[in-house]
Amino acid sequence: MPLMNAERVYAWLLRAYPERFRARFEESMRDTFVRDWAGTRTGGPLRCARFWIDTAGQAVWFGLAERRETPRAHPLGVFMRSLFAVDWRDAVRSLRATPVVTAIAVLSLALGVGANTALFSILNSLILKSLPVREPERLVMIDKGSWTNPIWEQIKERRQQIWLDAFAWSGNRFDLSTQGQTDIVPGAWVSGNMFDVLGVRAAAGRLFTIADDARSGGPSGPVAVVSHGFAERRFNGASQALGKRLMVDRLAVTVVGVTPRDFFGLDVGRSADVMLPINVHALQQNGVRDLDQRSMWWLEVMGRLKPDQTIEQAEAVLRGVQPQIREATLPQDWSAKDQAEYLKEAFALVPATTGQSNLRDTYSTPLKTIMVVVSAVLLIACANIANLLLARASARRRELSLRLALGASRFRLARQLLAESLILGAGGAALGLVVAGWIGSVLVRQLATPTNAVMLDLSIDWRVLGFTAAVAMATSFIFGLAPALGVSRVAPHEAIKAEGRGVIGDRRFGLRNVLVVGQLALSLALVVGAALFARTLSALVSSPLGFDADRLLIATVDAPDAIGEKDRGAFYGRVRDAAAALPGVEHATVSMLTPIGGMRWNTNIDPSADVPEPPKKIHPWVNSVEPGWFKTFGPSILQGRDFDARDRAGAPRVTIVSQAFVKTFFGGANPVGKRLKTGVEGPKVEMLEIIGVASDTVYRSLRAGFEPTMYIPMAQQDEGSSSTVLTVRAASGPPEALTRGLGQAIISVDPAATFTIRPFSTQLRSAVRQERLVAMLGGLFGGLALLLAAIGLYGVTSYSVTRRRGEIGIRMALGANPVGVVRLIMARVSGLMIAGIVVGGAIAWWASKYVATLLFGLGPRDPITFVMAVAVLAVAGALAGWLPARRAARIDPVRVLRES
Amino acid sequence: MDISPPLKPAALHILRALADGDSHGYAIMVAVREQSGGEIPLQTGSFYRHLSRLIADGLVDEAARRRNGDDDPRRGTYYRLTPRGRQRLATERRRLAGLVAALGTASSRKNV
Repeated sequence: MPLMNAERVYAWLLRAYPERFRARFEESMRDTFVRDWAGTRTGGPLRCARFWIDTAGQAVWFGLAERRETPRAHPLGVFMRSLFAVDWRDAVRSLRATPVVTAIAVLSLALGVGANTALFSILNSLILKSLPVREPERLVMIDKGSWTNPIWEQIKERRQQIWLDAFAWSGNRFDLSTQGQTDIVPGAWVSGNMFDVLGVRAAAGRLFTIADDARSGGPSGPVAVVSHGFAERRFNGASQALGKRLMVDRLAVTVVGVTPRDFFGLDVGRSADVMLPINVHALQQNGVRDLDQRSMWWLEVMGRLKPDQTIEQAEAVLRGVQPQIREATLPQDWSAKDQAEYLKEAFALVPATTGQSNLRDTYSTPLKTIMVVVSAVLLIACANIANLLLARASARRRELSLRLALGASRFRLARQLLAESLILGAGGAALGLVVAGWIGSVLVRQLATPTNAVMLDLSIDWRVLGFTAAVAMATSFIFGLAPALGVSRVAPHEAIKAEGRGVIGDRRFGLRNVLVVGQLALSLALVVGAALFARTLSALVSSPLGFDADRLLIATVDAPDAIGEKDRGAFYGRVRDAAAALPGVEHATVSMLTPIGGMRWNTNIDPSADVPEPPKKIHPWVNSVEPGWFKTFGPSILQGRDFDARDRAGAPRVTIVSQAFVKTFFGGANPVGKRLKTGVEGPKVEMLEIIGVASDTVYRSLRAGFEPTMYIPMAQQDEGSSSTVLTVRAASGPPEALTRGLGQAIISVDPAATFTIRPFSTQLRSAVRQERLVAMLGGLFGGLALLLAAIGLYGVTSYSVTRRRGEIGIRMALGANPVGVVRLIMARVSGLMIAGIVVGGAIAWWASKYVATLLFGLGPRDPITFVMAVAVLAVAGALAGWLPARRAARIDPVRVLRES
Repeated sequence: MDISPPLKPAALHILRALADGDSHGYAIMVAVREQSGGEIPLQTGSFYRHLSRLIADGLVDEAARRRNGDDDPRRGTYYRLTPRGRQRLATERRRLAGLVAALGTASSRKNV
């Protein structure tokens, strides 16, 4: 904690002291404190922690003590003092007298508060936290995706005319390997002035300057900046990283600096471990082409507003220079219509205080949903604790009425009970923070995929602490209020009365019923939600892929630099042949992309003779494949033929389209022999002849299902790609067994090739990770809610059986049979259940529309799901009611009569 | 004869520290920690509670002047021992010396 902040915190703590004391000592105390802290803070975290605990404890304790001794206090002070004038030791003693109740209360609170805090801390770091940079509130971003480097260069020239300054960056994944298995780290291309504009200072060495951001590599050659975490992992510390050489995508760079520990880049959820200046890309293969490419959209552009400049003013200036920028960067090879649109499209600015995040876009809704779910669970837990405390309060009626009889005020007794609740709340919250750390890290691990590490800063900040404290206070009052209010109905003369008499008509019992109905209702809503999510997941997992995903092993292979662009096709052919020759491999193929692999490629279909009016806005997906792709993955060729050796470079251009494509563009008529005009092959459009129709496969995601897709032969692609995917199908058994052999086969073709191998099933699993997470958490918390509600129902029923023991005994003595007694109790349980189901059904009906976007294959008010949820609740409720009912039926009337 | 109850060790140490001359809050606190060999782990909160008691009892008072003039980086007040405080310190010293002597005799007798 910096000195200034520490003093501010201490000054705040000093408010515990009375005015008079502060007037005299505050200045001195602050000075003494600051010096003492300066001597302590270097003494290690343990000493610091002890220092703060002592400091805070003493400030509050002595402050309040001084207040009590201050003779003439402010009326508000008198009231505050009366609130704190509680015998805390008495409260603790009373809680320790019922250790089981206390333990259950604290533990269930810890779980509830912990789950809430964990979710909140994730939402906090994903959505609320500002970037750790200078004045993040003045950062703005050009909206709607990414920009080309020529556009950025135009903006760069004018950046100080528009804003105070601006910078660009692009999240990327870099390969640090030189050969063999790839070594992928998350990283970013950044403009040379980015760190200056952000106001981020190096933890070691230096960060980039404008001079570093040059196509020739800058004065110190090509340089890199690495994150603090990366420096510690790879080089055992920030200072050791300086001057080290790294191979980044096969370019040797020198590490010149390390970013601060709390800086993870601008993409929240990803840690940019290795950063390179944008123009250094020119030194890599195809780099100059990428940098000058007018239709490669890869850079994000952020600006810092001038003091007193509003976002609207900046936007107006930006739009003023927009015509020049657009004119200078017009993609020459576009059609006239597209160019006109390009010139027209207006730049817009949005605030960028919290940075930018793909993770945020994907997980905002699911996480908020789960946040609502966990707060409902906490409410249910609170109702249970309230019930528990109410039962405890009625057991303590004698004690309380004795105190009243001896002259204690009702207010004082209520305060005493509230104090006990506050202790429970504080204990639950403290334990909850521990639970939260644990739940939080498990959750963050679930957000990650094999190819995408997730990095979220879940450290506990003032927001999280404030949230937890607020939740603890609120819950203590929620469950503490009922027993405290109950004090008003305790009469002083009750202490002298015998126990067990005159207890009929206890009105607090009504309150307990209301609590149970509330619990049942909320848990029904959560069970409905859990069932909706579970059915969504199962619908997705069982939705058809259009191919057989078992036994597939995929390897992303990068050709060595030594192999020129022209020879890459041959290289991948050799790799495929080597893989196909492996024992245990049934088929092998090479393609640009794999289904649901995260990479996408689409094109537009332009009007032509065979397709006079292609539907607008539908852009079919494209994959470029080698012959054998269909055999390996499994879709069948329904009409026409598969690709074969005839489809070489120079031969007439051909394509195979999917059924969905035929339906969309040809209304289902046989398209074989028809010709397409597409954007696939750039400006020198050659028509593509359709030679076949393949059965549908999933391309983008399971949710998107079958979409119009076209395949083109790899050999006919103009530019050989530097990276492709090799897919093999195992003849039998798990494909993982082939991993070693496949790696060796690739190395045998060229030892300088780099590759990553994984089974296709992992890709499939990560495609539904969001749904799996929501279903898992929904099920977990729905189950927990159900359990808590059942316990609540059991508690209330069991309590009522105990209280009506005399009555039931007499009924049985008068001839009621056990079945009748069970019916008597169960009638009451059914009443509560029906009320709960009606209220809960209404809540679920209303709330489910908010989760509609998370569902797949069923509507938010799916009747089967509702019926299922009601059935589950009914079974749980019947069980919770039946246990005490059975006990009631076994009451021995003789004993009951003898006792009274 | 002084009939006030014996001073608490921390308060006694504060008087002792001030006996060497007027001093400043933090300096007194550190001096107490050192004099007591860490036995009395005073912190800002507890230190000023003792100090306010001593001021209320008239044993310590705020010193009017700042020793280092106006460039003193330290904020807050300097404190001094009042004549009553000095007298009280002497009384306590005698009382404790008597106590130690008595304990010494008792233990030596036991050893015989």
